[in-house]
Amino acid sequence: TGGHTTEILRLLSCLSESYSPRHYVFADSDKMSEAKICSFEQKRAETFSNSQFTLDRIPRSREVRQSWTSSVVTTVYSILYSLPLTYKLKPDLILCNGPGTCVPVCISALLLGLLGIKRAIIVYVESICRVETLSLSGKILYYFSDYFIVQWPDLKKKYPKSVYLGRIV
Amino acid sequence: FRFKESLAEDLRRADLVISHAGAGSCLETLEEGKPLIVVINEKLMNNHQLELAKQLHRDGHVFCCNCSTLVETLQSMDLSTLKPFPPGQPEKFALFLDKVFGF
Repeated sequence: TGGHTTEILRLLSCLSESYSPRHYVFADSDKMSEAKICSFEQKRAETFSNSQFTLDRIPRSREVRQSWTSSVVTTVYSILYSLPLTYKLKPDLILCNGPGTCVPVCISALLLGLLGIKRAIIVYVESICRVETLSLSGKILYYFSDYFIVQWPDLKKKYPKSVYLGRIV
Repeated sequence: FRFKESLAEDLRRADLVISHAGAGSCLETLEEGKPLIVVINEKLMNNHQLELAKQLHRDGHVFCCNCSTLVETLQSMDLSTLKPFPPGQPEKFALFLDKVFGF
């Protein structure tokens, strides 16, 4: 969604073409991200001729401030939906930055890893908005990601296993 | 207007921006190098949205106030005390990731 998409595109801005093809996964309720992504990829294609990307939508796992019990139901539904997608894409790297959408995809990837089908490296970058506390996705993925990146020193202190590179968006 | 696709044009022409504490609004404004007053309404906002506004204020990049103190802030502010906001460095992220994958 919105801010998350802007942040992730900035993160991608300096990556080489080794990180290709790029598969963007976002919530079906998200109206604006597709345009931002296409615009980013169009610009990128001007420099890198063989640039490849795909777009996939999954059901949003949780609305802001949705209740706990209904969140579990919708998240499970999103996981069931993203499992075949993740299986199809078999990513080497999953880069995510916080919307609830990323949790089902990461959980799917973890399951595929446990089953010996495909082991993806999960890199989570917490949003620049998070100065003192982690988002809910962050709290969950702190334990399940391979690399957990924070953008403010307070968070590095509170979450010592995280990586602090300063502001990167 | 209620909603525009992009405020970039308006931002570029502005001399001063008064905004709510949304992260996108704050960061876009600071990146354009415009002075910013962040108006905080604790009742309406998600708690976490305040974190960034508070930090930016602590670091001297923005002025903060609430609805009732806005006028006073406008009257007494000294824009020269605001510190410039250096851009983020996605290159550092790229370097980090390259190391992870051995590129």
